[in-house]
Amino acid sequence: MPARDSLESASPLSAQVFQILLSLVDDDLHGYAIIQDVAQRTGGEVRLTASTLYAAVKRLLDNGWIEELRERPKGDDDPRRRYYRLTPKGRQAARGEALRIERLAGMARAKQLIGAKR
Amino acid sequence: MIVRIYRALLRLLLPSRFHDAFADDMTAVFAELARERGPLALFGELPGLVRLAVRSRRSDRTMRAHAVTTRLEENVFDSFAQDLRFAARTLGRAPMFTLVAVVTLALGIGANTAIFSVVDAVLLSPLHLSDPDRLVAVSEVPKSATTISIGSTSPGSFFDWKDQVKSMQLAGYTPVNRVLTGHGEPEQLIGTTSIGGLLQVAAVRPLFGRVLTLDDEAADAPQVIVLSFDLWHRLYGDDRRILGQSINLGGVPRTIVGVMPAGFTFPGAPNDFWVPSRLDAKFRANRDQYFIAAIGRLAPGTTIERAQAEMQVESARLTRDWPMYNQGTRIDVAPLRDAIVGATSQRLWVLMGAVAFVLLITCANLGNLLLARATTRRREFAVRRALGAGASRVTRQLLTESLVIALLGGAMGLAVGKAFLKLVLAAQVTTNLPRSDEIALDGRVLLFTLIVSLIAGVFFGVVPAWQLGRAPAAGALRDGDRGSGGSQFARGVLVVAELALAMILLAGAGLTLRSFSLLERVNPGVRSDHVLTFTVSPRSAAPTFFPTTLERIRALRGVTSAAVVTTLPISGRGIGAWFNRIDRPLPDNVQPTGEAYRVVTPDYFATVGIRLVSGRLLNGDDRKEAPAIVVNEALVKKYYPGENPIGKPVYLGAPDNRLFQQAPIVGVVSDTRDLGLGSDPAPTVYIPLAVMPTWPFFSYVVRTTGDPATIMPDVRRIVRELDPAVPIRNVEALDDVVSAAVAPARWSTTLLSVFAALALVMAVLGVFGVLSFLVTQRRREIGIRVALGASPSAVRALVVRRGLGLVAAGLILGGAGALAVTRLMSTLLFGVTPTDPTTFTLVALVLAVAGLSASYLPARAATTVDPIIALRAE
Repeated sequence: MPARDSLESASPLSAQVFQILLSLVDDDLHGYAIIQDVAQRTGGEVRLTASTLYAAVKRLLDNGWIEELRERPKGDDDPRRRYYRLTPKGRQAARGEALRIERLAGMARAKQLIGAKR
Repeated sequence: MIVRIYRALLRLLLPSRFHDAFADDMTAVFAELARERGPLALFGELPGLVRLAVRSRRSDRTMRAHAVTTRLEENVFDSFAQDLRFAARTLGRAPMFTLVAVVTLALGIGANTAIFSVVDAVLLSPLHLSDPDRLVAVSEVPKSATTISIGSTSPGSFFDWKDQVKSMQLAGYTPVNRVLTGHGEPEQLIGTTSIGGLLQVAAVRPLFGRVLTLDDEAADAPQVIVLSFDLWHRLYGDDRRILGQSINLGGVPRTIVGVMPAGFTFPGAPNDFWVPSRLDAKFRANRDQYFIAAIGRLAPGTTIERAQAEMQVESARLTRDWPMYNQGTRIDVAPLRDAIVGATSQRLWVLMGAVAFVLLITCANLGNLLLARATTRRREFAVRRALGAGASRVTRQLLTESLVIALLGGAMGLAVGKAFLKLVLAAQVTTNLPRSDEIALDGRVLLFTLIVSLIAGVFFGVVPAWQLGRAPAAGALRDGDRGSGGSQFARGVLVVAELALAMILLAGAGLTLRSFSLLERVNPGVRSDHVLTFTVSPRSAAPTFFPTTLERIRALRGVTSAAVVTTLPISGRGIGAWFNRIDRPLPDNVQPTGEAYRVVTPDYFATVGIRLVSGRLLNGDDRKEAPAIVVNEALVKKYYPGENPIGKPVYLGAPDNRLFQQAPIVGVVSDTRDLGLGSDPAPTVYIPLAVMPTWPFFSYVVRTTGDPATIMPDVRRIVRELDPAVPIRNVEALDDVVSAAVAPARWSTTLLSVFAALALVMAVLGVFGVLSFLVTQRRREIGIRVALGASPSAVRALVVRRGLGLVAAGLILGGAGALAVTRLMSTLLFGVTPTDPTTFTLVALVLAVAGLSASYLPARAATTVDPIIALRAE
């Protein structure tokens, strides 16, 4: 695999990939639900489309950061929907990214670029 | 709907692996998004989708590169797109090669596009008539006639046909010229007289108003007229309220009853108007004036053969009832289109054949170029094959490359064709072609160009593809860039084919060139320099008009003589009438032959330079009361072989309808080639104007000492003084009239020569290319030879011998081909046979010299091979 397609080296993660990972942290979701969750959480700041979502999903699957659920959760009767779950590796990557952002924020705070944490 | 579009986009853009894995999900998600965000969500998808398509393809390909031996599932679109990108890259890396290939192809395709537009409009497109395939031309011709054309018949015969024939609805027409007044300058218009409901038979609906009907031809019907679209537009703009208005033609006010749609100009362009005929009962029975061209519409369920059979019966009946008029004639029924296009078609098909040859040569050349290139890329392809690419995959790759070249060449060829067509249309001859007003680069031509380009692409791409596709990988890897015997053979074949085609084309062009030079050397029979000509048609031919104008023109400074004539020399046969010897009448059952006559003033002969052979010329004493005529040598040869015609009495016309009662032949003059320089002089009678003064229009011939054009203003003044309303037409030097007679021949000769030159250049380039390549490929062998002591001349001979072989093969094949093909153009030739040995020898010589010169440069390059470098390079 050439480096440019690998997520490991793609640090920092793109906002979209990071948001998708965040959505899957506490729940297994299907595609449309991911888009909705991201839109809600970011107040519409990150708006995914089907194409951008699955471009990311493909790479996340290839890297083993998420996996497809074999059984769909109870209560969903739409057979077309596929659900995705965060793998431990994915969780680690999301954590890494979050920590990186926190480190960055700490630095900015030390320089009093932004206000201190309450 | 919107979801389905998205789905289709996915299928189109995504590589199959990605598509199979995610398309369903993506569509489902998109469906929900579309519900939430509306159909415009599709636009939101596009940037992401395109990025996704590009990125996933890229990773797809890199994966394949890592695992070429596993044949991946791929759909056709995938690999085609890949081939396309690869072809674009490969061609982009060799810009010179691509440029040369595209430009040569564009020339070939452009020539084809231009000539095809002409052929398509003139020969292939249906007429602007409703159901044109059911329209036929019906013509009464001498039994000996061989060509299809619209002949003329007499009113008597025509109305007999119309009454008797059941298989067709018949109508006739005859051209009519009328002066338009009341719309600015008086102007000569060209129109058609409808006889028997022409426009009804043509069955074309008017743009508005109505067409002419049979009732309009009744003796007491009001004078009406139907205008062409162009005339209506020119005179009235878009005003449709002109119906019922009056227009003044030839001094007669006519009521406008209809306007025909744009493009309808039947029976030929230009045609400004249609008027109903007004034939009285006596004229309807006339059987010796042949001026009606007849067309028919086949009755439903009738075939052209049935109509022909019926006309045969009719012809037999007419011959029985009217032996005097119909002896020795037959009636032909032919598709109207063939009749209209007639003699032009061979000229055009020869040109079409020529450009097709040029394109074939171009293709062979490109095939060679690609073959040479492919040979140097053998190692590349061998590597691909060794890594698992199938033969068909390699073939497809190469074909894609040639198709890309072909399409680029086609696109450029369209531009070339457009420019070329402009040049072709600038020639007067093109616009004189029947239906030339329909010539255009339209959709059909575009389609033709596209198809030709694609065929060309496959044609020149398939040989190299086949050669490389089957090349065994191991050998290619070892041999490196040296060609196999097979591809060398293929290149040889292509060059020989090129040379052969060029030889055929050169032979054709050579023959037309030779016959054209012979044609130009033909003495037209007139001294055409310093003679001004123009045509005048006064509204009412006052008997004094022509003598007075002539007298005043003669008085102008710089004018040596002036005369009038009914039809200018070298511009056609003109009118004719039966020629009858009174001293030797024909038997009753034999019909006399019509001969051309020209009404002239006595100075005519001196003005245009016709010589007196015997007897005297016409003079002022030859009057209506004491007529006299002059005939030309051709007439003497036909009617008075071995006799002295001087003093023999004759009359022209039918016994009961004579042009003059009778007149003696008083003189014999030299011939003029009125039917064209390539035709024999027609027997001609010259009748003094004083004998037949009531002619509606005349052409003037004025001999001047200086430039003939300079006296034109004075001439105009003189004519205006006598009649301000009379139009002056066709102001020309007689030189131009004569030159117009050979214009069609010059036209096809020029075009053929251009195409042949193009073919020669390409064939020479082909020889040069193949031999240069040969030298490059055999550098090592040549190096060894030189190292072993071969002299430069021996090395040169090695290359030239190969060139000689190619040229010789090409000449032999081409010569044989030319012998077979030039036969088809025999009617275009004059004074040479289609197998003229001189032409063939000359053409072969030109090609041989060109071919050998082309092999000289590579041969010289071969002698400069340094054995040390050549051997070290391996």
